[in-house]
Amino acid sequence: MKLKFLLFGILFMCAGFTGFAQEKFTVKSKVLDERKDPIPGVSVLEVGTHNGTSTDLKGNFVLKVASEKSVIKISFLGYQSVEVSANKLGTKVTLNEETSDLQEVVVVGYGTLRKKDVTGAVASVTNENLNQGATTNPLQQIAGKAAGVVITQTGSEPGTSPSIRIRGITSLIGGSDPLVVIDGIQGDLDFLNQIPPNEIESVDILKDASATAIYGSRGAAGVILVTTKKSEAGTSQIEYSSTVSVDMISKKLDFLTADQWRTQSALWNVPVSADHGSDTDWYGLLSKTGYTQNHSIAIAGGTTKFNYRASVAAILQDGVVINSNNQNYIGRFQATQKTLNDKLILTTSLSASTRQNTGSPSSIGRADFTSNLISNAYVSKPTDPVLNSNGTYFTDPNVFQYINPYAVAETVQNNQTVNNFFGSMKADLEITKGLTAGWFGSWRKLDGNSGYYLPASSTVQSAIDNSGIANINNWHEDEKLTDVSLNYKNTFGNHNIDAIAVYEWQKQTYNGNFTQMKDFINDNTTYNALQNGSFTSIVPGDISSYKNDRTLVSFLGRVNYSYLSRYLLTLSIRRDGSSVFGANHKWGDFPSASVAWRINDESFMKGLDFLNDLKIRAGYGVTGNQQGLYPQNSQQLVAAAGQTYFGGTQITNYAISQNGNADLKWETRAQTNIGLDFALFNSRVSGSVDVYSATTSNLLFNYTVPQPPYPYGSIVANVGSLLNEGVDFNLNLKVIQTKDFNFSLNGNLSLLKNKVETLSGSINGVPLNTNYVPWGTNSYLIVGQPVGTFNILQHLGKDANNNETVVDVNKDGIIDGGSTSPDRKIEGSALPTYTYAFSPVFTYKNFDLSMLFRGSGGNKIYNSVRASFSYFESLGKQNMLASAVPLGLFTSQYSSDLWLEDGSFLRFDNLILGYRFNTKGLKYISNLRLSLTATNLALFTKYTGIDPELNVNGANGFGSDGGIYPRTSTIAVGINVTLK
Amino acid sequence: MKKIITLAIFAAIILQSCTNVDEVVYDKYASKDFYSSSTGADVALASVYAQIPGNWNGIGYAGADNGWYDVNSMSTDEQVVPHRTTGDWELTFAQMYLREWLPDHSQINNTWNWLYKSVYNANLAVDLLQKANADPAKIAEAHVLRDFFYYLLIDDFGNVPFYTDNNITIDKLPQESRSVIFNYILTDLKDNIDKLSTVRGGVYYGRFNKWAGYALLAKLYLNAEVYTGTAMWTECMAACDVVTSGGFTLHTGALDASNPLGSKYFELFGDVCPNDETILAIYTTVDLVGRNIFTVRSLGGTDATVLFGYSGWNGSVIPEDYVDKFDNNDIRKHQFRYGSNPFGPQPAGFINYSLTVSNLDNPGAAPNEGARSQKFWPALPMNSGGASNDFPIYRYADIMLMKAECLVRTGDVASAKPLVDAIRVRAGLTGLAANPTLTDIYNERGFELSWEGHRREDMIRFGTFTLAHGLAPAVDDHYKLFPIPTSALNANTKLVQNPGY
Repeated sequence: MKLKFLLFGILFMCAGFTGFAQEKFTVKSKVLDERKDPIPGVSVLEVGTHNGTSTDLKGNFVLKVASEKSVIKISFLGYQSVEVSANKLGTKVTLNEETSDLQEVVVVGYGTLRKKDVTGAVASVTNENLNQGATTNPLQQIAGKAAGVVITQTGSEPGTSPSIRIRGITSLIGGSDPLVVIDGIQGDLDFLNQIPPNEIESVDILKDASATAIYGSRGAAGVILVTTKKSEAGTSQIEYSSTVSVDMISKKLDFLTADQWRTQSALWNVPVSADHGSDTDWYGLLSKTGYTQNHSIAIAGGTTKFNYRASVAAILQDGVVINSNNQNYIGRFQATQKTLNDKLILTTSLSASTRQNTGSPSSIGRADFTSNLISNAYVSKPTDPVLNSNGTYFTDPNVFQYINPYAVAETVQNNQTVNNFFGSMKADLEITKGLTAGWFGSWRKLDGNSGYYLPASSTVQSAIDNSGIANINNWHEDEKLTDVSLNYKNTFGNHNIDAIAVYEWQKQTYNGNFTQMKDFINDNTTYNALQNGSFTSIVPGDISSYKNDRTLVSFLGRVNYSYLSRYLLTLSIRRDGSSVFGANHKWGDFPSASVAWRINDESFMKGLDFLNDLKIRAGYGVTGNQQGLYPQNSQQLVAAAGQTYFGGTQITNYAISQNGNADLKWETRAQTNIGLDFALFNSRVSGSVDVYSATTSNLLFNYTVPQPPYPYGSIVANVGSLLNEGVDFNLNLKVIQTKDFNFSLNGNLSLLKNKVETLSGSINGVPLNTNYVPWGTNSYLIVGQPVGTFNILQHLGKDANNNETVVDVNKDGIIDGGSTSPDRKIEGSALPTYTYAFSPVFTYKNFDLSMLFRGSGGNKIYNSVRASFSYFESLGKQNMLASAVPLGLFTSQYSSDLWLEDGSFLRFDNLILGYRFNTKGLKYISNLRLSLTATNLALFTKYTGIDPELNVNGANGFGSDGGIYPRTSTIAVGINVTLK
Repeated sequence: MKKIITLAIFAAIILQSCTNVDEVVYDKYASKDFYSSSTGADVALASVYAQIPGNWNGIGYAGADNGWYDVNSMSTDEQVVPHRTTGDWELTFAQMYLREWLPDHSQINNTWNWLYKSVYNANLAVDLLQKANADPAKIAEAHVLRDFFYYLLIDDFGNVPFYTDNNITIDKLPQESRSVIFNYILTDLKDNIDKLSTVRGGVYYGRFNKWAGYALLAKLYLNAEVYTGTAMWTECMAACDVVTSGGFTLHTGALDASNPLGSKYFELFGDVCPNDETILAIYTTVDLVGRNIFTVRSLGGTDATVLFGYSGWNGSVIPEDYVDKFDNNDIRKHQFRYGSNPFGPQPAGFINYSLTVSNLDNPGAAPNEGARSQKFWPALPMNSGGASNDFPIYRYADIMLMKAECLVRTGDVASAKPLVDAIRVRAGLTGLAANPTLTDIYNERGFELSWEGHRREDMIRFGTFTLAHGLAPAVDDHYKLFPIPTSALNANTKLVQNPGY
């Protein structure tokens, strides 16, 4: 009771003081920026009072203050504030732009921190630094923007997303994809497709374990935190953005023309009957110019108590391969309401999207070459006609499983619709000063539906056999999350504390069904009326459904403590329970600790004026992986396994579907990070260096187990370990800073070393040996080597019959193709050892020009396409690469390093030329910008395939180029308008 | 106080539900629940049989590719899939025929894995049926199935890991000698085969009845000398006699204009193997229960299209030396397709295959080289992925030749002659001019049982396996056993590789 009176009294006194203070001194001035342009809307405040005003359109202000000694504070977002006593204020005040980004707020998961207080390895990319142009996925916007974050776009198929790896391959079972958190809602990488690129305010990437440990079980592979644009109180605006691009195939492979094919056929004694007399450009027939459009409209506004933002966006892609396109429509709404005297803040968001995709078949072909549709254009001979004289699609009956790729493109139906919905509600209640209780709930739903029809006219053998194959696939994902939290922030003298405790519950449910029918009387109803197929043709696998779920329960706490804002400490602990593990191993503990020391604040550094910031950080943390593990792996389960014949009749067969492992437990990743942040010479040189070492232990993997006694040759278990070590460099240079012209250069470089430490050990005390696990074409998991190490036979030359010869290393007269063969030689890995990017940015008056160059190297690529189209024994049934002619190989019994190539590249990836109109004085427009962007302008590489940027996700099969959807170069025009 | 207790209980309930991370399985059965049900044991027995039809990925005894059948057939003189000068076909088959296989050979690996998964399933069935106090005939059936798989294992691999209880770990799993396992199988078979049903066909079609059990026992005795060094010809004859007492007869070889190959003999390899001669068959319906690819795999693409409406694979051929041994009057020669006037239908556009194969691997054979097989003339339903012919594992003609062989080996050549002659006469030939020699028996087995999975065992027993034949040069004795697969050796470092590898 007494306290209340006291508080009331203080409030009264304050009010009285301002209310009755005599205003006997008038200050009058004009606020300008560094270019001497006036800044409107600048806040001007008499310090210690509520007395203030703001500048008008011409930057002028007038304020009556108590005395000439009153201190005036002039502040504006993005500029350094000025505090000066009234009598010393001149007629002009110049505000300097914030040269240091230290005040920037960084999202760190379950909270935010000022960048200067961060103790872990966190990379931030704000709105203005995002890549622009015909972006269809937010990952494209941050490619090359952060050290240690490798974003790879393989081909430009509409609707496909790039892959991302943060500090390497962290797991072998899956789960190397980072967690995506959009405004607090957790999801997988696909979640990013539900955010219009234009609606992103900033992206923060948590790289080291001391930062990600707060996400515990889902943080092992890093965390991408996306913050969307919010509206500010008291504003009202309408934004329109649009980008329209023209997409062209950047590189085509050089295959034999019809005439060249005929010349070679004569040389290699191909029967004349194999020449069907045409001159067809199959690749040209299947490809075209593509278009990408990206439109969004946002409306935003609010009062002091309520603000909202709503947006609709459309991302429309028409691919460079005929009949491949994707449309993504997204609508979002977000609102914040303050109540209970601003003590309770409620934020809600709703988002819905629908994605419609028409794709060309991704896996099709003959027995010896299965790839995507466009790569099947390589197979077709230039002398084959497209159509027979009667108008039907041409096929060559003398070729096993001949496919006419144009027939496939024109006749196959492959459509997919994915509907997404997510909503969230957040409530923060300030209980007392510094103590806030929060509740958060989110619900994400995804419903996917696809239809596929492969008619006999597609010329695909299985469709001919079955008189048409139609199927419908439905899948549903449902992810719910709720948490309650208690947050305490306070300052005691020089001690600053920010602590949070959270309980979190998540449930993810997945279910779906698949139905297939065959044998249709005609192709008219495609997959829209499965009942028109023949019921006598149904076989096991034609009808199926599934459901599984996982529950995740977490308790977590974190304390950020700082002393004198100079000595910083972060401690966090998370305890997670996941349903996917064995009964006695469901819970895992994930602690972290990190410290930072802001050295430049020390008194002994006082003399070093050129040093604006110097901070050393060190952290250690443990994270876990369960998301990559499919549910139900700990149990021995029985499932239907086709049909068997028993007791004189065909019955459903049931069989044990996997080896059970009751000891299945958390895969853990312990990471140490040491970092240095610096800013010199008025922050014109700034950057950071981070060194890290991360070991994934209890590595989840499908380990080889002996048969006998196991019924299957592999078991999901925790046995091995995996090491990633590296250095991330980040450097920002403000080379030229003048009134009209600015030039800055940002660059980053990361070096990464990956090693499979162990794969063998024991399960239940029973020894288990795993090594030389095939992991792609000629690539393996080998203990002591990086994931995806090429262990390969060495090309020697050719014999008298033009057949390839290889090196017999152990000279025993036998070329042993076995995985552990002594004739194989280790020749590098599919994983790049370095990645880098640099970005020059120029601004001149209202023009801005920025470029992004991005590259990686140290990796090898097995060029399977080249191997498939270089042996002349196949000339009679397929086309050949022009590069096969000088090689002159008839056949090979081997798969040698002749096709293993250097995967290093440097790409001129992005160019943005923008012009921002001067909108000062315009009544309705507050912002107008036009831009011209181009992507993939140039590529420097020795790789001979169409693009060296292949999936480096580390999953089985990576590092081999079996034919990709073409990579495009795009030119786009864009407009951004904001109406007041 | 009451309030506090209520509150505490309430809190405990909330805490319990808030921390519950038990796993619920919605779309599969937990194995312990599933097999402890009353139907579980029967299902377990049926699932052992599910291992036998051939299917993709090297699964099964016969019918599909890259598994037990290919390993035991392509390594002999009766068939091979050559690499083609068109770039078609991997080298794994030619390596088999040329005896160039190494321990990492995929088909050998598939065979090992298939056999040990089968053993696991049989162990499970034995265990569950015993626990369920099931019909003794069913328990015996599971035992005999396990014996069958172990027989195939010692036949191919020699000394192999041996276990009958699935609750064992690798460190306690011994690699037993071929003879120890051989003796175990003999004992186990003798304990169980008389408990098996004597019913032929019907609900026992495709299953081990008493007669199939004795046929298996006879096979073990027949090859006892190979496995243990001690011949058991007399015991083999006794087992053959028990099979004979089951009432089997040779199926007719009468001419039949409605049969594409002109004789009722080929009904033995049709949709349903006839009960008169067939002792144990594999039931097949393409895409539903296994498949039989042997004819579509052999014939050229357009040849199969004009004959059946589905494209062929242009794969397996019969080496010239093997075809040449057949008498032109032998109806069994109709299983081959070659030349400008081939046996069987000759629709417009059929392919004229040359009998000679010039090369198997480097650079390979020209597209139309090599005689093709139509022995398993496709039974419907079929498609380019195979047909629905059933496959005879044991048939009476085999038993008769086994009996004849034992008689010859024990010196009773006169008693052997009528057995051999009966088979020759059924095939449209005359009886032998003289009493049969071992060579006569060996050749007759080649004529009668080609492509039925017996050739490797026969060639080893007759001492011809390592000799040169066709395009394959002679090799040393260690090829009589397949190597234990590299992956099995890597996973179990205690395993001892067969000599020579």
